Amino acid sequence: MLKFVLRRLTFSIPVIFGIMIVTFSLARAIPGDPCLAVLGERATPEICEAFARRNGLDQPVPVQLLIYMRNFVQGDLGDSLRFHRPVMALLTERLPTTVELGCFALLFAISFGVPIGVLSAYRHKSALDVGTMIGANIGVSMPVFWLGLMLAYLFAVLLKDTPLALPPSGRLTPGANPQPFFELWGWVAEGQKPAGILVFFSRINTLNALLTLNSELLLDALRHLILPAVAVGTIPLAIIARMTRSSVLEVLSQDYVRTARAKGLRERNVVGVHALRNALLPVITVIGLNFGLVISGAVLTETIFSLTGVGRTLVDSITSRDYTLVQGFTVVIAAGFVLINMVVDIMYGYLDPRIRFN
Amino acid sequence: MDAKPARLEQAGHARSANLWLEALYNLRHSPSALLGMTIIGGLVIVAIAAPLFATHDPIKTMIGVPGETGRLPSKPPCIPMLGCEDPLHILGLDLNARDLYSRVIYGTRTSLSVGVITISLSIVVGTALGITAGYAGGRVDNVIMRLMDVVLAFPALLLAISIVTILGPGLTNALLGITITFIPQYARLSRASVLSIKEQEFVLAERAIGASPWRIVLAHILPNAITPIIVQGTLGVGTAILDAAALSFLGLGAQPPTPEWGQILSESRNYLFTSPHLVFFPGIAIMVTVLGFNLLGDGMRDALDPRLNRN
Repeated sequence: MLKFVLRRLTFSIPVIFGIMIVTFSLARAIPGDPCLAVLGERATPEICEAFARRNGLDQPVPVQLLIYMRNFVQGDLGDSLRFHRPVMALLTERLPTTVELGCFALLFAISFGVPIGVLSAYRHKSALDVGTMIGANIGVSMPVFWLGLMLAYLFAVLLKDTPLALPPSGRLTPGANPQPFFELWGWVAEGQKPAGILVFFSRINTLNALLTLNSELLLDALRHLILPAVAVGTIPLAIIARMTRSSVLEVLSQDYVRTARAKGLRERNVVGVHALRNALLPVITVIGLNFGLVISGAVLTETIFSLTGVGRTLVDSITSRDYTLVQGFTVVIAAGFVLINMVVDIMYGYLDPRIRFN
Repeated sequence: MDAKPARLEQAGHARSANLWLEALYNLRHSPSALLGMTIIGGLVIVAIAAPLFATHDPIKTMIGVPGETGRLPSKPPCIPMLGCEDPLHILGLDLNARDLYSRVIYGTRTSLSVGVITISLSIVVGTALGITAGYAGGRVDNVIMRLMDVVLAFPALLLAISIVTILGPGLTNALLGITITFIPQYARLSRASVLSIKEQEFVLAERAIGASPWRIVLAHILPNAITPIIVQGTLGVGTAILDAAALSFLGLGAQPPTPEWGQILSESRNYLFTSPHLVFFPGIAIMVTVLGFNLLGDGMRDALDPRLNRN
């Protein structure tokens, strides 16, 4: 198993380097002078020269790339040209929004998609099965941003003043200022600068609410999360339901399932233990592949629900030619994507020995 | 000496002809493929005959036009058959006082052509890369496929956004950006087919009698690799349309006043709470179109997969 993990790890490293080179070149290729973009009309040639020197833009491009790679390995992504702050700090502030949204979207997709898929396979060709497949087909065909807007309209306008009303924007009710768990626990004294990792976790509102036992905050955060998470999660839900259905259908016709039935096992055991376990293997891969969809969905959904996450920041920075931020965020997202796929592969190898030994 | 390969080739053609006939037969008996074809067929007709279906000029502002109020009708959709009295604008006017219905109708042209052009381009480039990689093997294979891995490592929309930012916003550049994100799929598919066919006896025989690599690829490898690519391509058109709409929604694709569904949505989204119909209809149009391609793709996958036929 260790050998398999190591092999998979070494396979990912060149891809991550490739990503770094590609994002580096992409960021350089963005037309327009970053100095003009950042400083606007105040930029004189002298000021721009100083700006280039300060940001390392006067070095030859290959040298810039090497410096960038060295810094990346040390966790330094440079300073954002627009915000005048370290990209890493911006990332620790804004990534939690996207991570939280992505996790809840996937949670929604899995917790509905898998049971729906199993049920419709079990009741193959029933009304439920046909309905599910029609629903799944419509689900994968919906534009994420449209679904988000429609959900916002339904729950914030049509259902306004009913118990079902949900807020159409933001992460928390305006004015809410939750206390981070590390302050409550006395880990970081007031006025002191907390470590990035603590900031990261404290900004995942639901996690912070659980850690500080703040049920009000938890409820507020969840209410704000429902609409964007459903919007992002609907396409993955449809894909997962379809995949689960076809894979359970295949497994249910296998000999060992017939054997299990023949020896008189209860139906619940046959489906739940014998069939589902094997049927879920391809489902795991599909869940892994859906991370890309979740990220793409998050970019669009953050714009609609006014969430200051990674996706929205990235789109805004592209238009303002913030090289370092675009570069840093893209590399981190893509590297995260590669790592997640690696974890999925390793899980797959763990669950199915045939893959490990091939 | 010539007789054997000729016979082999004939046998190959006969088999592939049967396969296509069988596929066509299966396709005609698959409800999802039929529904998909009907939807796409309808949309193609709407796209070609857009001037016949549209009631107004899609980019003309209705302010100062005789008989027009230039205001949004209060309760669209206003359909005469359902007893609405003002049939002038079936779906009402958009925020620039243009006829929304005509804009949505003309949008069909944009979206269908973007979807089909993107996928055709990426199939051509991707298949060429994949076949080269698979056929040449060795270092060429390694370089091409690692490059494809890197492209695949980016979430598709993110990469498309970055590419469009560099090239500048606009429909053509959006189309190029999306094309690049789709190339690896077809490269991988065609490379896999090449690898499985390359070592088979009929290809070895061709090579032994001195056939050129071009001939081997065009006459033997391509026909055998094309089925999965067609299926993937049909499904891909739907995704490409969604991506193009998303780029336009972010302001990176079609620019105003081009009637494009994502762009119409983007223009109207700030008025969601007062005029939801402006957002609703272009979205429905995108959904129906994508649904059509997805249904057809699913049906084709079932029809063209010989493994499923035996059951």
